[in-house]
Amino acid sequence: MNTTRSNFTRANFEVNQTIHWKMLSDDQCEEIYMTALELLERTGAEILNKEAQEILEKAGCWVDGTRVRIPSALAEWAAKTAPSRVTLCDRKGNRALRVETTYSYYGPGQRNSFVLDPQTGERRKPIKEDVASAGVICDALKNIDFALSNGYPTDVNEASADLHVFEALLTNTTKPIIQYIHDVKQAQAILDMGVAVAGSLRELQKNPFFVFLIDADGTLVHSDETLAKVIFAAKNGVPFIYHTNLILGDTAPATPAGTLVVALADVLVGVLLGQLVRQGTPIIAGGIFTIDDQENGILPWGAPEVSLVGTGMTNLLRSLRIPSFGFAGASDSKISDAQMGLEEAFSMLHMGLSGTNLIHGCGLLEYGLTGSLVMLVIGDEIVGMTRKIINGIEVNEERLARGVIDAVQPGGTYLGEEHTLKYFRDEFWWPTIMSRDRIKDWTETGSKSLGKRAAERVQSILQTHKPEKLSDDVVAKLKEIIEKAEAAL
Amino acid sequence: MTIRSNIKANQSTRMNVLTPEQCQELVLAAEEAMWRTGTNFHDEESLEIMKKAGCWVDGERVRVPAHIFEQALKTCQKHIVLCNSRTGARELFVEGNNSYFGSGPCTPFTRNPFTEERHRATRQSVGWATKVLDALPNIDYAMSLGIVQDVPLLISDRHEFEQQILHTDKPIITVCVDQWGQADCIKMAEIVAGGEEELRKNPFICLYAEPISPGVHCREAAQKLVMGAKKDLPTIYTPCIMAGGTAPATLAGVMVQGLCESLSGLVLSQCTREGAPFIMGGVYTILDMATTIFSYGAPELSLLLAALADVAHYLEIPMFGTAGCTDSCIIDEQAGIEAAISVAMTNMSGANLNHDIGYAEQGATSNLDLVVICDEVLGMARRLTNGIRVNEETLALDVIEDVGPGGNFADEDHTEEHIEENYMPKLINRAAREIWENAGGKTLTQVANEKVRDIINHHEPEPLPKDLAAKIRDIVENAVGHMPGED
Amino acid sequence: MATIEDLSKYVIKGNVAKTKKLTQALIDEGAAPLEIINQGLIAGMNVVGVRFKNGEMFVPEVMVAAKAMSQGIEMVEPLIVEGEMPSAGKVLLGTVKGDLHDIGKNLVGIMLESSGYTVIDIGIDKAPEAFIEAIKEHQPQIMGMSALLTTTMLHMKDTIELMKEEGLGNVKAIVGGAPISQDFADEVGADGFAPDAASAVDLCNSLLS
Repeated sequence: MNTTRSNFTRANFEVNQTIHWKMLSDDQCEEIYMTALELLERTGAEILNKEAQEILEKAGCWVDGTRVRIPSALAEWAAKTAPSRVTLCDRKGNRALRVETTYSYYGPGQRNSFVLDPQTGERRKPIKEDVASAGVICDALKNIDFALSNGYPTDVNEASADLHVFEALLTNTTKPIIQYIHDVKQAQAILDMGVAVAGSLRELQKNPFFVFLIDADGTLVHSDETLAKVIFAAKNGVPFIYHTNLILGDTAPATPAGTLVVALADVLVGVLLGQLVRQGTPIIAGGIFTIDDQENGILPWGAPEVSLVGTGMTNLLRSLRIPSFGFAGASDSKISDAQMGLEEAFSMLHMGLSGTNLIHGCGLLEYGLTGSLVMLVIGDEIVGMTRKIINGIEVNEERLARGVIDAVQPGGTYLGEEHTLKYFRDEFWWPTIMSRDRIKDWTETGSKSLGKRAAERVQSILQTHKPEKLSDDVVAKLKEIIEKAEAAL
Repeated sequence: MTIRSNIKANQSTRMNVLTPEQCQELVLAAEEAMWRTGTNFHDEESLEIMKKAGCWVDGERVRVPAHIFEQALKTCQKHIVLCNSRTGARELFVEGNNSYFGSGPCTPFTRNPFTEERHRATRQSVGWATKVLDALPNIDYAMSLGIVQDVPLLISDRHEFEQQILHTDKPIITVCVDQWGQADCIKMAEIVAGGEEELRKNPFICLYAEPISPGVHCREAAQKLVMGAKKDLPTIYTPCIMAGGTAPATLAGVMVQGLCESLSGLVLSQCTREGAPFIMGGVYTILDMATTIFSYGAPELSLLLAALADVAHYLEIPMFGTAGCTDSCIIDEQAGIEAAISVAMTNMSGANLNHDIGYAEQGATSNLDLVVICDEVLGMARRLTNGIRVNEETLALDVIEDVGPGGNFADEDHTEEHIEENYMPKLINRAAREIWENAGGKTLTQVANEKVRDIINHHEPEPLPKDLAAKIRDIVENAVGHMPGED
Repeated sequence: MATIEDLSKYVIKGNVAKTKKLTQALIDEGAAPLEIINQGLIAGMNVVGVRFKNGEMFVPEVMVAAKAMSQGIEMVEPLIVEGEMPSAGKVLLGTVKGDLHDIGKNLVGIMLESSGYTVIDIGIDKAPEAFIEAIKEHQPQIMGMSALLTTTMLHMKDTIELMKEEGLGNVKAIVGGAPISQDFADEVGADGFAPDAASAVDLCNSLLS
């Protein structure tokens, strides 16, 4: 298929191995970073945890009551000291996700107060079974890389809900888990559960299969409990996510650049504290951003600004070589419709293109209030499309197909060419639930919308997919840990 | 005041699929294909023109020596403007990385927005479609969204153009059935513009032709291209190719095949008249190997056209792209997904003039609900592509200091001054569930459909002066159809 | 030792070289020519047809399988007594005058061939007279026309009318292409319409049954 027999080489040739997309230039990233450093040095942050205050003061911060001002040198040291990469493993300890540079992984969202019942479609409070179902679905979907809860189960003890979530996910998927923690007590029990699965804390540190999710309180305030969680995670040497939630024009400036200054200042506090507690502690930083939609009185999750500022944050974190955590795949629609599809796709495309490492939020309807497994399954397909695009176009001698074009000749057909047969499977993206049927076939198979087809897929996964099981004694150990923790409450 | 130096900022997001080196490699491969294999022109006049210019003509086969192609690249216009048909105001600058969007042409079917019936496009449906395009703020130009089929089919293009010019003052891209149809449409446009020279000075129409892949230029296409060049009117040349069927299965091979066809068209246009305004088009996608459809929703479409935008920028040729279309038979989640991905990708790639908004069902049926939804997606995409401004004002350090940790920015002047930067949706529903339910619990498609009906019932486009409308009617009524394949 | 079942497998795999080699071997061994075709080559192709319909195989694979089959048949054909050559029927295909778009017609041809039909493809840009001449020459049971444009599709009516005038009304006329619908097919007096290549096979089957 080559057109020449020469063994020539070609010099000075730069290619895009993937698509390139950038929002902030390097100079702009630097400027925002410098401004955040200035902010930390000049205004500082509210540190409401005693132990954290002491650690920071000892390291050279200026502590004045709860207000802590951070010298730029210290914040810069922390940003450089934090590892540039974290590997997340699967439940069996196999290395799975390279959380570094621009590798992107997708997973569901979790902060929903409601779920759509997978059988009836009814909107109701989440129960533990819903988390288990989310685990099964995540386990089955090819393009979903990690698992999160599907709301907080309301049929278990509220004070130990995190433990039940973790148990439900651990027993239903082998994929890495992002585990939210409400407080240090539950964090300890979760760590114990992790150790039970991994065999020892050392094994868990070597091959972490879950990561703690810690929310910063936003706008330069870090609460007692939040920082206690950071100290706990860092002391135990397990990776954690420290991310901020900001609302443009409300808890942050209306300008995206100003919001990014606040966001960076927020996460740098977590990074610094983590590094001071234990140098080299793996940390993933990030932010979730939205605007204040005053007309509707809600915080939209389908707005383009969610992706806009999220991308800016990813550009910043990449420039600092800190692994990133972001948000995409949610919608403000109340039902499965075209709005849901377009908002879900819009954000997932952009966050993927930006190279955000861990992208969560897929499957949240109704500005994050309601979790939908149907939407999660649709999200899996969107990730497939997005990845096809991000992978870009491979250009080389054989793919240029010069010889083939000449062999086919004008007016010919490529259908029967050897070259076509060789490449069509790998060069094309193959849909699973998107329809390309002509209208006759589509009508004959029931005139189903994508939402309907996805709902059927949810059913088929829940009925047929059997995730790999944990051994009985590990399952028993998990139960024991939960019971013990609940007894201590 | 303090100053600084050596700061580079992104005024917008920046995307490229290919490096300049890769663009060059693709162009050179296409150049090689034009030289070695060539393409077929089924048109005597074109063969004559290209032979005279120095191309190697062998029967219908035309092979283009590199220097002729390279000369054509130099002479073609880099700056093309499309204007308002009523005022001549210069509106669309089809150049650089500017991105404009509009509908698509030529669907045999359309979906009636009032009855939901799928039927063949008519004079009325094209009139309605044009009204909708006219009313939407993010739609920049009009294509017909249907072949008028309730008139003699051989002159349907004249009826289409009449419906378009009556219902919008936005620029029109006209797809004619043949050279005679195109001549009539140009005549009508000249009447509206006030003469041949006026139309040339401030063109509000853009002509369109497409080769038949792989590598065949039919007579109608070649003639339309030659006429566009002679008339000095912007002309789009768009290969509609499918990987694995009419082009190689590899995406790089698709690029070479498509470029070879477009650029052969460029050579014909420049050999006809140096400096003729030429726009390189493309609908590059895959042949779906399971259903054998030409996919309008495949991710490969967005990827290939973003790559084509890189090549167009590299060559400094204005480009015509594709977005806002779907394979779905209805406007459901899938339509939303495919519209969002294609519109966002195309806008970020900086492709200049982009068509096919409103194509549903693999391009077989136009759908006005989808047009209205894409108008909204465009609003979102444009907000995002505008990126983030970084300067002292937007960094807001002083404001943050004033507000302090845990404070609120809602009442700050700074917030007041900048809040309008946020995109405010028109159709997208962000209402709380109860409010949404009380308003009928409608899907986006239902809301879009209501808007379509409202526009058709109430929107009044800038009217075309009565005397001009009468002259146009006259041309339509006297149009003579030509059976294809016959002189 | 190679068997007729292996021959089917090579056809399914689309291995042209091995199909030819084994066909020759079977001929040399003295296998019955009709058996080689029916139980080897066509049997393999029948599997391909089913797998395509089920979405397990795709167009390029069907294409090479059909190529393997037809090259095998070409080798066996001279050994078969005239008139005994198995065929589901003969279909003549062409694209109408003024229209150079032919990928759809090509796909129909592949699908018909892979379903056991003998296909005569007369190419693109064919005037009604050219269709008539070809029908007279090849005597097909079915004549299929394709068009991509709303202007060129008008030629379909002329062709069908000319067929009737020439007394060829016994040949079934079928039409297809993006702007064609059942309504249009009825209007021009066609015997059938199919929206895609796979259903064109079903259409031919039902017209001949």
